[in-house]
Amino acid sequence: MPGEGGLGEVPPRRESIERRGSRLRILGRGFHALSAGVAVGWLLLVALLVGVLAWTARSAIRHSGSFLLLGAEWDPNRQIFGAAPFIVDTLLTSLLALLLAVPVALGVAIFLSELAPPRVRDVVSYAVDLLAAVPSVIYGFWAFIVLVPLMAHTVEPDLARTTGGTLLFSGLPLGVDLLTSSLILAVMILPTIAALSREAMRAVPRQLRESALSLGATRWEATRMAVLGPARAGILGGILLGLGRAIGETIVVAMVIGGGRTYPTSLFSPGTTLATIIADDLTSAAPPEVSALVAVGLILLGITLLVNLGARLLIARERKESEEEELPAHSRPRGLLPPPGAEFRGFAHPGGAGEAEAVLAEPVELPAWRRQLQAQLPGRLRRRRALYAAVAVLTLLCTVLALAPLASILYTAVQNGGRAVVTPSFYTDTMAPACNPATEHNCQLGGIGPALQGTLILIGLASLIAIPIGILAGIYLAEYGRNRFARSLSFLTEVMTGIPTILIGTFVFVLFLAEDPSIAASATTGGIALSILMIPLVTRTTEESLRAVPDSVRESARALGFPRHWVTLRVTLGCARGGIVTGALLAASRAGGETAALLMTAQGFQYYSLGLGRPIDSLTLVIFTTFGTPYPNWQEVTWGATLVLLLVMLTIGLATRILFHRHTAGAEVT
Amino acid sequence: MEGPKLQVSGLNAYFGSKQVLYDLSLQFPDRAASAIIGPSGCGKSTFLRCLNRLHEEVPGARVEGSIRLDGQEISRLNEVAVRCRVGMVFQKPTPFPNMSIYDNVASGLRLLGVRSRDRLDEAVLASLKQAALWEEVKGNVDAPGIRLSGGQQQRLCIARALAVQPEVLLMDEPCSALDPIATTKIEKLVLELKRTYTVIIVTHNLAQASRVSDHTAFLYLGKLVEFGPTQKIFERPDEALTESYVRGRFG
Ligand SMILES: Nc1ncnc2c1ncn2[C@@H]1O[C@H](COP(=O)(O)OP(=O)(O)O)[C@@H](O)[C@H]1O
Ligand SMILES: [Mg+2]
Repeated sequence: MPGEGGLGEVPPRRESIERRGSRLRILGRGFHALSAGVAVGWLLLVALLVGVLAWTARSAIRHSGSFLLLGAEWDPNRQIFGAAPFIVDTLLTSLLALLLAVPVALGVAIFLSELAPPRVRDVVSYAVDLLAAVPSVIYGFWAFIVLVPLMAHTVEPDLARTTGGTLLFSGLPLGVDLLTSSLILAVMILPTIAALSREAMRAVPRQLRESALSLGATRWEATRMAVLGPARAGILGGILLGLGRAIGETIVVAMVIGGGRTYPTSLFSPGTTLATIIADDLTSAAPPEVSALVAVGLILLGITLLVNLGARLLIARERKESEEEELPAHSRPRGLLPPPGAEFRGFAHPGGAGEAEAVLAEPVELPAWRRQLQAQLPGRLRRRRALYAAVAVLTLLCTVLALAPLASILYTAVQNGGRAVVTPSFYTDTMAPACNPATEHNCQLGGIGPALQGTLILIGLASLIAIPIGILAGIYLAEYGRNRFARSLSFLTEVMTGIPTILIGTFVFVLFLAEDPSIAASATTGGIALSILMIPLVTRTTEESLRAVPDSVRESARALGFPRHWVTLRVTLGCARGGIVTGALLAASRAGGETAALLMTAQGFQYYSLGLGRPIDSLTLVIFTTFGTPYPNWQEVTWGATLVLLLVMLTIGLATRILFHRHTAGAEVT
Repeated sequence: MEGPKLQVSGLNAYFGSKQVLYDLSLQFPDRAASAIIGPSGCGKSTFLRCLNRLHEEVPGARVEGSIRLDGQEISRLNEVAVRCRVGMVFQKPTPFPNMSIYDNVASGLRLLGVRSRDRLDEAVLASLKQAALWEEVKGNVDAPGIRLSGGQQQRLCIARALAVQPEVLLMDEPCSALDPIATTKIEKLVLELKRTYTVIIVTHNLAQASRVSDHTAFLYLGKLVEFGPTQKIFERPDEALTESYVRGRFG
């Protein structure tokens, strides 16, 4: 009980609380405005990207018109720019990749979501996530070393022989062609499709599966009845996202497609896709060709945006549809009459006790077909369980098949790069002169010092830009963004995660070419390009982690009288911290494995960096520029760089997993 | 009258190393409704899920003891065969969202290999009537099942379970997600169904247990405290614990 003295003390304290409260409120408004400003800035950046590409492409579009889309010849010397063969090659390789990847990916998803024991599921899911995180330049290198000879010497000659060398499989099997590109693209998009399909299946309520089991379904039948149907939209969305990724993939394809620039005559033809022509030619192109290449980039952007938009809309619409309830009056009527002569042995209406008693009075006698059904049950059950076993084995095989490339990549990298990564000088030396240790006495291994330094600088720069912007935009979208603008921005951000990274590199390159050509190829532009790639990833994970914080947390904090920004900053961010850190780490690791966006921006450099305004090296660029080298010491360096990159990805993957698990465990306790 | 439809003796159930049911023994008579009551978390759902061997589908879950269906040990039977004879309805209505009303009801029979349209029509009609849903959906059976209201969905799930003509029907708090009117309809339905089936219903609602059931089992902390005629359990139970629960003094 406060006495006289106590009463005297209260007013000043309340006043200070109020003053503090109003200061917090002003801070809160400022914070709201800041995050909204960043979100708008992000939108403007996307608009700038499209605008700059369109502006650069306009002279080529004026010059070539529809010939760009339909013309079959590409000759920069005579200023003839027809990209039709590239469009054909792009669609051909990505659709074939989809065809190869989808059945296996669905098998993996069903195995992981429905059939595998929990412990197996955890380990394999982690491996599939890793598979999705392997940088494309590593897939390309592996494909070039392992897959291409296999295709050239075994698979393709066999295909040609068994099909009699018909149209699809005619010509010289060189191994660097459309078929190999499709195959490695399939390997690359498989984990994406599998992971998204698995998520869609896991999202199906457990009780739905149990309802099917309770009706006497085997596990496979329950999957078919109660899981695949409801998860259909999510699975389709995952497939479309995989397609988008295949269409926009640059590096892997550039390494194994062979570079033919006419219409393909068979799957053994070398080819060029929309993405690889940009990668091959942009940095050495004269202005008219730059414009034409950017126009090609616009075509690529159009196709990938359409596919990604379709994927996201499909998921969103189906989700909404399944939330609708209540029977509409206009559903299609269907006459269902009792078959003639069929005697009904149930109750017509509740409360029809008399009728019920009558039924009870006579012994319940099953119709003949029901008795027959019961008699047939054991035999049928044996067949149904055999089917279940067959499906289980099949999906297990799909999983083994999906993981085989990861195993082969790791094995080959350790085999060829294992010695390099345990040599200390490998991490500090620059590239040595090309030589062969078997024949030359003074052959030096050389190292990846500049590449390591460059990758760290690039990631540092990109993170410095992308992480604050991404987190602020994510906070805006999750905490303040209940309006239409924010919903559209959130959707756009999601779509932006699927934009081909070569286009980001192209955007930054042509922007600086116009503004300040001296630094168009530099650490600065490389960092900016990587940051544009990271922003949507950080934004999305921040937004998602914040949305995962239950509203009750916000409400209870608000009920205690805290002003809004206080709630956001301290309580909600505190709860979502683990998820946000995980997202930032994963985005940084994506940037570290990126090649396409760096091809024309960072461009690679033989020596340690000379400053942010000069070209710079990266691990991925080292691999991309030396992957086909005949010199053994360079080969070893390339494998060493691959192994280092793989180990870093593996570690980050493991670290985020542990971090995330600890985070969720913590959330359960509180 | 023959022996009991379901005879449970010495039943222990576990999630991993955590035991949730302790040495349960009781018998469910044929053509009667039995209610299972008890505070939440006492193991009612787990017990019910042991009866159609659904419990063992949970990773790490384990069952010990004996459950006899018409004298046959269910652990020796094929689990699919057991579930054809022991149907189940869940707390939340669970129509298959991508199937029509008709296909939902027919799904169990299709699993059994029934392809004939006439037989499916006959069985679907009978089940929908039995579940007192026919009058509300006739002419509309091709509409998606999830477009129905909550109470209708729950009756659809009952129709779906009845279509394979099980002998026992398990219901796990079938009304807890429904409004009072829908609840009344389901209760009437249970009163009808128990004339031909063995109905075992888990409920939170003591009044509902007393309205629909002939026998009542009271579970507490995974143990069976008392099992007997419903009237006796509610009016003069043997155990003080039961008495205080049915008088609403805890839980
Ligand atoms: N999947 C599970 N894993 C571990 N424990 C569980 C699981 N499901 C239920 N339990 C535990 O088993 C006990 C009994 O649960 P349940 O049978 O659902 O109770 P009731 O239906 O009576 O509310 C509870 O303590 C619950 O926490
Ligand atoms: Mg329960």
